[in-house]
Amino acid sequence: MLKRPELEVKALAQALMEAKLQVGHCSVCFHLSADPVCEICRAVNRENQTICVVADSRDVIALEKTREYRGKYHVLGGLISPMDGIGPEQLNISSLVHRVSKEDIHEAILAISPSIEGDTTTLYVGQLLKPFTKVTRIAFGLPMGGDLEYADEVTLARALEGRRELD
Amino acid sequence: MYLKTLHLKHFRNYSDQRVEFCAPKTILVGDNAQGKSNLLESVELLATLKSHRTSRDRDLIQDGEAWGQISAALERELGVAEMALILRNGSRRTAVLNGEKLRRQMDFLGTLNAVQFSSLDLDLVRSGPGERRIWVDTLLMQLEPVYAYILQQYTTVLKQRNALLRQWGENSTASHTTQLAIWDAQLATLGSRVIRRRSRVLKRLTPIAQTWHTAISGHTEELQIRYAPSVPLTEGDPALVQQAFLDKIQQRAIAEQHQHTTLVGPHRDDIDFTINDTPARQYGSQGQQRTLVLALKLAELKLIESVVGEPPLLLLDDVLAELDLSRQNQLLDAIQDRYQTLITTTHLGSFDAQWLNSSQILQVKAGVVTP
Ligand SMILES: Nc1ncnc2c1ncn2[C@@H]1O[C@H](COP(=O)(O)OP(=O)(O)O)[C@@H](O)[C@H]1O
Ligand SMILES: [Mg+2]
Ligand SMILES: [Zn+2]
Repeated sequence: MLKRPELEVKALAQALMEAKLQVGHCSVCFHLSADPVCEICRAVNRENQTICVVADSRDVIALEKTREYRGKYHVLGGLISPMDGIGPEQLNISSLVHRVSKEDIHEAILAISPSIEGDTTTLYVGQLLKPFTKVTRIAFGLPMGGDLEYADEVTLARALEGRRELD
Repeated sequence: MYLKTLHLKHFRNYSDQRVEFCAPKTILVGDNAQGKSNLLESVELLATLKSHRTSRDRDLIQDGEAWGQISAALERELGVAEMALILRNGSRRTAVLNGEKLRRQMDFLGTLNAVQFSSLDLDLVRSGPGERRIWVDTLLMQLEPVYAYILQQYTTVLKQRNALLRQWGENSTASHTTQLAIWDAQLATLGSRVIRRRSRVLKRLTPIAQTWHTAISGHTEELQIRYAPSVPLTEGDPALVQQAFLDKIQQRAIAEQHQHTTLVGPHRDDIDFTINDTPARQYGSQGQQRTLVLALKLAELKLIESVVGEPPLLLLDDVLAELDLSRQNQLLDAIQDRYQTLITTTHLGSFDAQWLNSSQILQVKAGVVTP
């Protein structure tokens, strides 16, 4: 890198910047998207009345692979973790509550992996959404401490089917 | 169970050392700082996934190396178990059991059982409550491996809750309160599990320890072990313990907001030992305290044996020389050849000739073990 001509390095830096700008977030669901509104949010043939809430864009990709789910998503962008300075304000939670309270949503599925931080996030988000819609949580068929990302497709599909209402 | 071989690679001051055990008792003899305790520590890691000397794998890996490995062949009634624990600098461990890489490290627990007895344990009665909690937790992990998982989860909740309490201040919002209520519930759920299990194991251990204690003290003293949980323990229904937990959190809420830390839960438990109704911690003589610890260690051996169905290993680190002759003999009498025992010492002089003859003796010098 140090031996390369300065111009070349500048061009590389420029290219990296552009790549970073291109992969932004959907302004509705916060899934990774090059466009202001992602393909899933734009799709006309998907159910508008179900929102699946996940921690990370990788979880959207994992769930999409199952082809079982036909609703919309909302990506929180992480989990509540006071140790890491992440509170609800640092996550896309208020935008979620806004969506659920304004749109005609019949069910919010919380598909967050069962860890300490995952459970806390599920309970917190669940409390905020309950006044507006039915809230279910995905059945914990997932490996202990495992992320949605690593769960195989069959397990995920089964988990979706077996979701329970949050109490 | 019987540990047949141990192989240490880049572990502490061992570069590549294979050790074969060929007698129920092995005495590791050598000057200070040669690697005797390190060897026992490697067995402790296989039994508990923990070392009582460090919580960082970096300390366990030989200086300048990127990884270290402890492997062992363990004879159990059901057959030989091949165990390997690979430690990495700045990355996760790998646990391999009979050639199969375990998905969860926790599944390693329960294969090798060992009771550790070092000169540090002699202070168990006198030291702070933290040492006694570690003692009971280590025992529980071997008896009920799932406890390791419960305790780890409890610790995570505790750290998260403390972090939230540290952020507590003037501008705390309703969101803070909502979050805290969720952490309270998690703390109570996991905390009650820890408390119930600690209470259960102490109930089972107490009569065995009492029997030993009576024998060692020459039928003059009566030992009582009382679990003192930070939350009142109600018998029976787990839901009642949880409710008591939540009530106690409510009582301490203001204090917690001022001190910015969690004041209720098993991280503040203690265990009280009394001899003839007087607290052993304040009033026990050093001799009485040592008798007590010896009785506890022997009780651990018996309890693990009865739960697991096989006699566990006993690791005696420097402790024998620190016990007087009568207690030494009582210990050695109790273990006989029943429990495979690894003993470290700087001098063979303090051992009975009969003992020396029936033991395997290994010299330890600068990370090398020789017959
Ligand atoms: N990670 C490590 N790498 C290399 N040497 C180590 C490491 N950790 C400890 N040691 C060495 O091990 C020795 C202590 O071994 P130990 O087993 O505690 O001694 P003892 O024989 O007295 O029980 C010391 O010389 C120390 O420098
Ligand atoms: Mg030592
Ligand atoms: Zn979108």
